[in-house]
Amino acid sequence: MVIFGVLRSGLYALTSVGLALSVGVIGVVNFAHGEFLMLGAYLGYWLFVSYGIDPLLAIPIGAAALFAIGGAVFRAGIQRVLRAPELNQMLLTFGISIFLQNLAIILWTGDPRTAAVSYKATAVPLGPLVVGLPQLVVFGLAMAFVLGLYLVLGRSRLGKAMRAVAQNRVGASLIGIEVDRIYLLTFGLACALAGVAGMMVTLQLSTSPFIGLLYTLKAFAIIVMAGLGNINGVIYASLVLGLSEAFVEFYVPQGGGWSEGVFFLLILVVLLVRPKGLFRS
Amino acid sequence: MRRAGAGVTLAVLVAAAVALPFWAGRAQPYYLQLALNILIFAVLALSWDLLARTGQLSLAHAAFFGLGAYASALLVTLAHVPIALGIAAGGLVAVIAATGLGLLTLRLRGIYFAIATLAFSETLRVIAKQMRFTGGSSGLIAPPLLGGSLPAQYLFILAILVAAVAVSWGINRSRWYFAFTAIRTNEEVAGAMGVDVVRFKVLAFAISAAFAGLAGGFYAHVFLFINPFEAFSIATSVGALVAPIFGGLYSTVGPLIGAAVLRVGEEILRTKFRSGYLIIYGLILAIVILYLPRGLVGLWASMRRRGRAS
Repeated sequence: MVIFGVLRSGLYALTSVGLALSVGVIGVVNFAHGEFLMLGAYLGYWLFVSYGIDPLLAIPIGAAALFAIGGAVFRAGIQRVLRAPELNQMLLTFGISIFLQNLAIILWTGDPRTAAVSYKATAVPLGPLVVGLPQLVVFGLAMAFVLGLYLVLGRSRLGKAMRAVAQNRVGASLIGIEVDRIYLLTFGLACALAGVAGMMVTLQLSTSPFIGLLYTLKAFAIIVMAGLGNINGVIYASLVLGLSEAFVEFYVPQGGGWSEGVFFLLILVVLLVRPKGLFRS
Repeated sequence: MRRAGAGVTLAVLVAAAVALPFWAGRAQPYYLQLALNILIFAVLALSWDLLARTGQLSLAHAAFFGLGAYASALLVTLAHVPIALGIAAGGLVAVIAATGLGLLTLRLRGIYFAIATLAFSETLRVIAKQMRFTGGSSGLIAPPLLGGSLPAQYLFILAILVAAVAVSWGINRSRWYFAFTAIRTNEEVAGAMGVDVVRFKVLAFAISAAFAGLAGGFYAHVFLFINPFEAFSIATSVGALVAPIFGGLYSTVGPLIGAAVLRVGEEILRTKFRSGYLIIYGLILAIVILYLPRGLVGLWASMRRRGRAS
């Protein structure tokens, strides 16, 4: 049970780290985050079905495509409301989310799609346990991406610029950082991460236009637990969510259905008890 | 003069609304059904706006709608309560839930509040889906209101809407209006000025939920069937929020106009696309936020001003 919980938390971490990035650096809570994941998942699906490209190999394509889409969405809409009240930002991203979801329904119908990758059902022994190969690969890759992001944020010039902007927009622009460019890059990066996570969803599960909202909400649960904008807390918070879902699935009768409610309950409880998050930044 | 004009317009509108079933009831049941849908939607939109006036942007209107629907359907089928009473009880259950939620979320602002209400609504959906007495994912069957007579049902929801309009009008004309606006603009300052912030926020929540719950109970006994996905649908919460934003926030007329225009537009789109017609909500939300911050009512006002100036 623990291992299942841990494995699924990898994907959660990858999904939420992008959202945490856009909240932390730009200060925009993006309700459409999961829809970018959904677009990535469909891209992975179509590349596999039409051209036989394995979703794993398609990750760079997906990242680039979602970076471009995210950048375009930012330029066309979100940039205009950066200085508007927080609620306008929320409603705008909510609108984008509804738009993208229904666009997907119109384009690709609401039926779930599964990419039949040859090793989808392959299982590998892991110590005394047997786990699915895709799950293991996804976990490894997701963690690699998340840790890679930490490295970028911690070490590179871009990462330092992002952190500077996150701390103080005015101060950052005074020392010569082009704040608007950093915002654009950050939002694109957040969407690219969501897109990569989407391709992994294709690899491991199936995709439908409706998965976006689910992942947005789970990512919310995680970043709320981590404390809004706290990127370091995301991994721990993902573990909390993954483990508690697995726990409910295993120990509660009809747990499969109840586990859908776990993250909502976590959001509610954390917001009401510790609105600043569980983990120190 | 303008006052009298507005009064006449209002009287004509109400008379037309009351007369509609007698004209359309036999010949055009489709239009009567559409009108009834618009009225349900208008009640929800107005109810959402009432809460938004205190600065609380809820994503939980589906929760109150669903609670009303389930409470009424269960009371009528299990306890054999008269249907009208069941619907009223549905409103009451929603009020109780809203008071609890309102007290819990008092400290939460903006985005935190929105996320918490969304979480509340989705938690209820999971509960309704998992519990046996709610019929699980297959849902419940509810007996028809007023013997299933469409014109009578139409008048029933019209009465609920008129009550909602009266409450909304009354609030915007009383001292409450200033209390709500002060809380929305700046809670600390409102508190310092002597506005009882807690009381007004929870009151707004309760009143708002009452109408959402009534609409939900009504919905159950008109469409005769509810399940967790329909009753607690996020589309309900989205619709309840887009209509007032589109029509014009914090007013009585705005949500009504928004609801009517959106539902008719949705109906037209529905004939073109089998699904995915909700795309219009997303588009409208984005466009209104970017270009029309005061909604249709604001657009109308500024057009009139321009017309008079030229």
